[in-house]
Amino acid sequence: MKRRASIIGGVAAIAGTFVVFVIPFLFIILMAFKDKAQSGLRDFSWPQGFHLWDNLVEVVSTRNWMMITAFLNSALITVVSVTLLIIFAAMVGFVLARRKTRMNGLIEFLILAGLMIPPAVVPTIWLMQGLKLFGTLHGMILIEVAYNLPFSIILYRAFVATIPRDLDEAAIIDGARPLDVFFRIILPMLWPVTVTNIVVQSVGIFNDFTNPLYYLPGNQNATVQLTLYNFQSQYNTSYNLLFTNILLITVPPLIVFLFFNRQIVAGMTAGAVKG
Amino acid sequence: MAGLEFKALHKTYGSVPVIKGVDLSVDHGEFVVFVGPSGCGKSTLLRMIAGLEDITSGELWIGDKLCNDVEPRDRGIAMVFQSYALYPHMTVYDNVGFGLKLARTDKAERDRKIRDAARILQMEALLDRKPSQLSGGQRQRVAIGRAIVRQPEVFLFDEPLSNLDAALRVDMRMELAKLHQDLGATMIYVTHDQVEAMTLADKIVVLNGGVVQQVGAPIDLYQRPANLFVAGFIGSPKMNFAEVTVQSIDGTMATVTSKDISSVSVAADTSRMSVGDTLTLGVRPHHLTLDASGTLVGGVSLVERLGNETNVSLKLPSGATWLVVLDGDHNLRGSQALQLAVDSSTVVLFDKTGQSLLAPR
Repeated sequence: MKRRASIIGGVAAIAGTFVVFVIPFLFIILMAFKDKAQSGLRDFSWPQGFHLWDNLVEVVSTRNWMMITAFLNSALITVVSVTLLIIFAAMVGFVLARRKTRMNGLIEFLILAGLMIPPAVVPTIWLMQGLKLFGTLHGMILIEVAYNLPFSIILYRAFVATIPRDLDEAAIIDGARPLDVFFRIILPMLWPVTVTNIVVQSVGIFNDFTNPLYYLPGNQNATVQLTLYNFQSQYNTSYNLLFTNILLITVPPLIVFLFFNRQIVAGMTAGAVKG
Repeated sequence: MAGLEFKALHKTYGSVPVIKGVDLSVDHGEFVVFVGPSGCGKSTLLRMIAGLEDITSGELWIGDKLCNDVEPRDRGIAMVFQSYALYPHMTVYDNVGFGLKLARTDKAERDRKIRDAARILQMEALLDRKPSQLSGGQRQRVAIGRAIVRQPEVFLFDEPLSNLDAALRVDMRMELAKLHQDLGATMIYVTHDQVEAMTLADKIVVLNGGVVQQVGAPIDLYQRPANLFVAGFIGSPKMNFAEVTVQSIDGTMATVTSKDISSVSVAADTSRMSVGDTLTLGVRPHHLTLDASGTLVGGVSLVERLGNETNVSLKLPSGATWLVVLDGDHNLRGSQALQLAVDSSTVVLFDKTGQSLLAPR
């Protein structure tokens, strides 16, 4: 009896997941194979003819090969932002977990505030313009780092707290200077959280649509998410190209996830049992 | 070659004093053990030597260098932690060599030193393993190896054996003693286990409440405790205490009596007492013997038969409970009355402030 109930529950869960996650993805793939006329119907019909290659060429070459620029921009923003995020967040998390001062409460409050309070766009643009960073890639990188830092810090701080202080002290006695302690002892031990951070933040930053829209105007500065606007407008939307574009820009996050998937699971269970 | 010298060392956390003025000198090559109950400041004192805690006031000399504000790496010390504190992401080889790597030691020399340390500790086979693949005793060895490889003037041990099981602890204790002989370096060792203290130490420092209670050779502390605290802390099982009254004084002999003991003559510093004074008498459980004409009478309340000796919990007429360790095996029943003799040559008297009244030697 119990066995049958669990089977029914399992099947229901799989069906639910299929409807929510897999069907939309299948829809994207189907649309990417259609031509413009058929895709305009926006239904689940089987593609008439194979148009994927035509669609791909069209998407990539539109607006003077904007897609290539966008991929380069997005890759640069993602890699640099995530690198900076990891180094800074781990450093802050380390200091915050190790050094108890009267300021800690205030600092933690500010971090939490950064996580909860939505950033104001217009003042940020005003500030960026003042600093001559508006509409530049490095300005965009700074924004991504600033917006995502609180989340990464919180992840790191919790994990640093589980690393025994004896290890720092042993390293200090072995002759390590503060930066040695951090880079040679603490950061390697934070690898499980670092993987989590890499996956979560790189997918988040790569997929970011609104922030590049606000802070990174200009064709030369386009990021992959903004290329979606090439095929979507008030009067004329090429759904086949739009969905081909979606398919194309879904691939990198998918690769990141597939690559790190194992390590995320390993990281989440490492240290759970005292060895 | 380095001894140590503490001059009026103080440590306070906020307004809470932890170390309240420690003066101590340690000769080169000595094995010094800090003992004391939890929270007595022994670990803090060790960490002050290591440079992990700031010194609030006083002076710390290592060798002929004032080390108050010297970085830990420049103090010529190495420390072994209770938790071993091995770097989990490095192999044993890298763990041992970490300090040398930081000191930018030449690769060939580093390799030689690491292998030397491994040979001394018989852990050559473990060099490629990660700490998680080692047993407790092996991890301890690696931690000691990490200390040896730096060739420090002073070794610091913070309760290094307390995470090991009893049998392994005895083995490691002997190895530490041997290591001390072989290396001839100064070693400072913190423990709350007085067997470790008695067996390893050249010199024991008993601490309580941030104050040094007594410094001396292990057997001196056992036989001639300076005060009630040391008397109660050193020796296992604990020394028995009873309140006594001075009955008469004759030269260096004082005769004392109490509800439980009819009268005992004890050699003591009689200049600091007078007839009628209330003192505390201390006698070790091992120094009570079964004797039909003994001065001490009590009822058996609990018996532990260990084969080679018998531990008896004795209920005295005054209501106090004393512990007696009898040689050999005795089949005693509960509530049985025992008559015991007190070996008066081993009895120690203490005055009202807890200071011992030992006869001068």
